[in-house]
Amino acid sequence: MRVLFIEDDLETANYVVDGLRRSGHVADHAADGQDGLLRGLSGCYEIIIVDRMLPTLDGLRIVKTLRSAGVDAPVLFLTALAEIDDRVEGLEGGGDDYLTKPFAFSELMARISVLGRRPRMTTVETILRVADLEMDLIARRVRRGGAIINLQPREFQLLEYLMRNAGRVVTRTMLLEKVWEFHFDPKTKIVESQISRLRAKLAKDSQPELIHTVRGFGYVIKPPS
Amino acid sequence: MSLSRLPRLVRTASFGLAVLYAAVLAVSVIIIGAIVYWALEISLERQTTERIDADIGLLKEELRAEGDSELIEEVQRRSDVLGLEYLLLDAKGTRIAGTMPVLSPALGWSTVELSTNRSGAGSSRTLHIHSVELDNGMRLSVADDYGSIEDMRRAWIEAAGWCLIAFLLLSVAGGLLLSRRFLRRVDTIRITAESIIRGDLESRIPLHGTNDNFDRLSLTLNQMLDRIQALMEGLRYMSNHIAHALRTPLGRLQQKLEAARKTALGNPSYETALENMQQEMEGILSTFSALLRISKIEAGARQSGFSEVDLSALLTTVCDAYSAAAEERGKVIGADIAPSLWTLGDKELLTEAMANLFDNAIKHTPAGAHISVSLYRDRSSIVASIADDGLGVPPETRDLIFERFYRLDRSANTEGTGLGLAFVAAVAGLHGSELSASDNSPGLRIELRFDVAKPPNMLPTALLRAYKADRVRYGHPSPHLEKHPSQRPQRKPVRLPI
Repeated sequence: MRVLFIEDDLETANYVVDGLRRSGHVADHAADGQDGLLRGLSGCYEIIIVDRMLPTLDGLRIVKTLRSAGVDAPVLFLTALAEIDDRVEGLEGGGDDYLTKPFAFSELMARISVLGRRPRMTTVETILRVADLEMDLIARRVRRGGAIINLQPREFQLLEYLMRNAGRVVTRTMLLEKVWEFHFDPKTKIVESQISRLRAKLAKDSQPELIHTVRGFGYVIKPPS
Repeated sequence: MSLSRLPRLVRTASFGLAVLYAAVLAVSVIIIGAIVYWALEISLERQTTERIDADIGLLKEELRAEGDSELIEEVQRRSDVLGLEYLLLDAKGTRIAGTMPVLSPALGWSTVELSTNRSGAGSSRTLHIHSVELDNGMRLSVADDYGSIEDMRRAWIEAAGWCLIAFLLLSVAGGLLLSRRFLRRVDTIRITAESIIRGDLESRIPLHGTNDNFDRLSLTLNQMLDRIQALMEGLRYMSNHIAHALRTPLGRLQQKLEAARKTALGNPSYETALENMQQEMEGILSTFSALLRISKIEAGARQSGFSEVDLSALLTTVCDAYSAAAEERGKVIGADIAPSLWTLGDKELLTEAMANLFDNAIKHTPAGAHISVSLYRDRSSIVASIADDGLGVPPETRDLIFERFYRLDRSANTEGTGLGLAFVAAVAGLHGSELSASDNSPGLRIELRFDVAKPPNMLPTALLRAYKADRVRYGHPSPHLEKHPSQRPQRKPVRLPI
């Protein structure tokens, strides 16, 4: 993927750009707002990562300008503090996701990989499948190997999010934000507990595990290897 | 002026002074009045004496010039015309002329009191008499009725009395008026102080420009407030700066640890060490964030983000989120949440505060504990309570648990930053709700009471002023300072794409 990283902190920028390149992405860096906007307007990026606080032109303005110029690449905002208003402003201004600084690179990568496939989501999916697990989004029904699995609403949402991003690692934080709408660290391991409940329900007849733990990081749903 | 304000008016120092002043003045007036009265009486008496003497002189002259008969005639005439009373006796003491009711007055000056009607009842008259021996052996007495002086005296006392009453009324009214002016200025000081207590640090006492005592007092107070504000802002500025300044290098350190962990793959002991360091780093960073957020919330800067919040739904969501985790630790959450209880507040902060309460209850209770959550309406307030049947908190430390970094001795080894309940306290403060910890016998009960009748008080204009001051002081934009809420768009619920 071609990634544009607009960030004025050179150390963070080098670290991220380097990491992105190592993971096989093409990454460009812009150190200030104007440069970032010009590069972004070229339209050749599949994903844009923007810091909210930038010299010359702030991140929100860049994204608004890009959106009005018809650039529809997914945008991920980096915010200094977990400020709800900044976050909401960013999302309303055309951002697709946000990440609070300081962040772990793995968290950024997980978000990039989820965002990177979003344009293809324009086709409305009604049935999600992973191996023998099937989720009917309209009937709100989940089957594994034909057997209906009864899920609580929250478990259903959790599984839906995992399945929509099948094969991609989703982090604990992403699950908290997207499934529970908790934009804070709940301290108690609520994601872990919910996942183990879900796992137990999905493997009632001791079928092979579908939800895999990526240690110290997150989860991924994929067919058993 | 309303009746309820009257007693307060009367209680003021200025009113007391006015009353005292009026009393002193009244005494002075009474003394001056007495002096005037005394002088007046003396002068009246002298006038009477002079008048009588002049009359006697005239009659003596008459006798000398015209003889006895003319004198008798003159006395008779005068008795009919003038206000004075006359008596002319011959050498034997027989009345020759005059109408004076006294028969034989002593020679020289005398004062005779006699009753006007025969029965002795009714008013009496006092006559001031001067009797002289004439050259022809007759005795002449001229008298004046003291009654006129008495009348004047009475009139004078009456007038003085009325004056005194009027005077007292005027001074009390003046006192009231003065105290009202006084009160009004004291009230402006009080109102200013109250708005500062509510968090509007920009508020100042208005000056009248008269440079009187009040103005000077207000000026001094304002200067003191400026100083306090500068100190507080300095503190906020410093703590924000420290936290912000450390967050950046700590963030980089975190990145470096992460990078190092990748290269350490294959060396299990390094990998574990780096992972532990990374976890510690996350702990430090989350403590910093928690501190920064608590101080931001305490600064009251987020109230403009308030909207109607369904507390019932909110608590249900949080309860549901924590139930699996609680179960895993062998604890049961029982919920009794009344539906559709709404309050004005910040949804995300309230969610986090509730989450912290659950986290607290789950972490600090032994396995097998029962945690009961309830939300109900109690008259004009909504009460959210989380109670457990764990070990509880000793009464003397119950209020301390809401302090930053306070931890019970027995929790020293439990994970956590010691900021969870401090965060709840800050959120409660922002919402003007009452947070309390009590004995659940056994266990701890934490209650959050939202006053539905009284919305949290924070003036948007005050916030705007505070924001402008920030911008002047620190320049803008600054990454470490909160934006002014009025500049933010109203938050709408945004659902992130799943």
